[in-house]
Amino acid sequence: MDRKEFLKDCGRMGFAGWMLSLFPWLESCSDQTRREVQGEKARIGIIGTGSRGQFHIQHLLQMPHVEVTALCDDYTPHLEDAAQYYPLAKLYSDYRKLLEDKNVDGVIIATPLYLHAPMTLDALEAGKRVFCEKAMAYSQEDCLRVYNRRKELGGVLFIGQQRLFDPKYIKAMSMIHEGRIGEVVGVRNYWYRNNNWRRDVPSPELERRINWRLYSEYSRGLMTELACHQLQNGSWSMGMLPEQVMGSGHLVHWTKEDKRDVYDTVSAIFTYPNGVNMTFESVISNKHFGMGEQILGSQGTIDLVAGLIYSDDPMPKGSGIHQLVTQIENGIMSNSVFAGTSWAAETSPLAPGLPIMPNVTVNTGESTIGAEADGSKEIIEAFANAVITGRQPEKILEESYYATQFALLADRAMHENRILTLDEQFRIPYEPIRYKA
Amino acid sequence: MTVEEFRYSTKNALYPVAYASMRAMHTRLEMVLVGVAEALARELAEAVEADTARMERLFNRHAAGAGLNVVNMLGRAGDVAVDDELFMVLELCEAFRRGTEGYFDITACSERAADTTAGYTLDAAAHTVRLHGAGALLDLGGFAKGYALERLRQRVSEAGVQQAVLNFGDSSITAIGHHPYGEWWPIGVEPDARRSAVAQEFRLRDSAMSVSGRGRGGEYHIFDPHSGERVVREETMVVEGRSALVCEVLSTALYAAPAARREGIMARYEGYTATALRCGATGGCEVLRIGRQPQRKDMDKE
Repeated sequence: MDRKEFLKDCGRMGFAGWMLSLFPWLESCSDQTRREVQGEKARIGIIGTGSRGQFHIQHLLQMPHVEVTALCDDYTPHLEDAAQYYPLAKLYSDYRKLLEDKNVDGVIIATPLYLHAPMTLDALEAGKRVFCEKAMAYSQEDCLRVYNRRKELGGVLFIGQQRLFDPKYIKAMSMIHEGRIGEVVGVRNYWYRNNNWRRDVPSPELERRINWRLYSEYSRGLMTELACHQLQNGSWSMGMLPEQVMGSGHLVHWTKEDKRDVYDTVSAIFTYPNGVNMTFESVISNKHFGMGEQILGSQGTIDLVAGLIYSDDPMPKGSGIHQLVTQIENGIMSNSVFAGTSWAAETSPLAPGLPIMPNVTVNTGESTIGAEADGSKEIIEAFANAVITGRQPEKILEESYYATQFALLADRAMHENRILTLDEQFRIPYEPIRYKA
Repeated sequence: MTVEEFRYSTKNALYPVAYASMRAMHTRLEMVLVGVAEALARELAEAVEADTARMERLFNRHAAGAGLNVVNMLGRAGDVAVDDELFMVLELCEAFRRGTEGYFDITACSERAADTTAGYTLDAAAHTVRLHGAGALLDLGGFAKGYALERLRQRVSEAGVQQAVLNFGDSSITAIGHHPYGEWWPIGVEPDARRSAVAQEFRLRDSAMSVSGRGRGGEYHIFDPHSGERVVREETMVVEGRSALVCEVLSTALYAAPAARREGIMARYEGYTATALRCGATGGCEVLRIGRQPQRKDMDKE
């Protein structure tokens, strides 16, 4: 299954049968759903037209069933940039006014983290279908508030956890559950960059508005902006949630030139009920190792970022050439079936691994805006479909909810220097996907 | 590297048989020797192991300090001196590249724009190699096993062995003589990665064969040097002929080459035959012969 096939075959019978049972949210981009929305228009408003908002616009422009009818930003240069793509869209500086717009059925919220929950709640109350960037909310309490309110009101809510729609992650996770790497015994995530994480600021009074990621008043730093994506890997691969979290965070390098107060160096360990650890580490003053996500199995390893599988023991259990020996011992000759294509040469731990699917797109994690072919386009398309159908994809919100909850819990563990478990009050009735071949 | 398994059986008193296996080149090398005294069989197994270890030290691009690894590390910045054997191997690879219309290319996995020119330059006087382009990389994956088998067959033959099979990773096989109870060594090929299709029989007699296609895990690991992309083709390519090395090179090249170019490539290699196996989901296989085929009965008459 390559990227093209994924998009094409997402909803086909036979393929869809197993795929949708494992990843039910993919129903929102299935062929059946696509046929359903054919000829319809998703009228979408974008709240937040900065770098990420404009990244989404580039994808929306490719979708014939999307009409962007409204744009909103309280920073005029960003709004004007976005308006160039949609000259007919109505422009707003107050998102509440946009929410009153009857020509808007769904909204994409791409604003600073501290605004996610209030804007999402207001949009849901206004009856809009909502896509909000990750992380889901600034606090654990807000996450729960948003989750519960969506449940009460019904309606559509997507959070921007695009790996849920990335073909190579979907393929990798299905291979893991087929037992291709044995029992999952460890999960490693890391994300290294070497840049100051800053955006250019035209005048000093805009510093905190534009560089909101650097200030704890608006953001929870590396845990909500980066870890949130990778923390899904544990629950996806093992079908369970972490039992406890510990971590350490510090401002190590980017302290001299600015007044930021979020960590630039973090490490966290999430321990699952079966004793397996998942790690997350991020340093933004060294980029040598880039971005990595690895599922370690008792018989092999899957590198999620590179889309490669490695075997711990690439040797076959017994070659068919033994048949030949037995034949000679018994004085007979018959066809000895042992030849075939190479089974091992590329599976050595020293070797570069085998691709899990053709045409894997590898992202370095260096971009602070977004990467191509990482599921971002697919999740936006799925959301546009849901704007038309009004159907909330199964499990998508719960997956996103826990990704944020555990990112926030780890951030708390670092600040409090304690080992923490998720409070009962924040548990929602949801079991991660667990399946066996 | 050591001989992992050695068995010697005299159950058939007429034809005692020795079996040895060892890990080499990220896979397993096995040998079956017939009619050989146990002491000689052991000696040969150890010699083969030593030969293979030496070649691996030269050809392993992943092992720090290996000849090819050094070329990959330094060859992009300037000329790298290599020993006689590696130089000769690189000359051979370039000759095969030209002789396969560029479909055998040890630089195919390089991070460079796909093109059909040589990926490296050799200086015969200085015995040096220089790689072309910042992302250039040499990989002897489609060459080394065949080359090694060629050398090992020679060693085993020179020791007086008249009936033997050497199997490198199940995909490269060379035979000496014939099966003690037949006129050839009958080798069954599992024609698809899923092992769901009926095996196809090939007959070796003082000859070799090589199999290329999707890996046993279903992965596509062969690159098309012309496009730089992995070849995605539901097909298994089998090449038979005198030399294990040529068989290995050709099976890789033919798998990568489009169907229209294959006859042209095979026309350059007299005495070699190629077979493409295309298997359906039900287990049936279409068998397509490429190039001039020998009369199968010739072997039976001998």
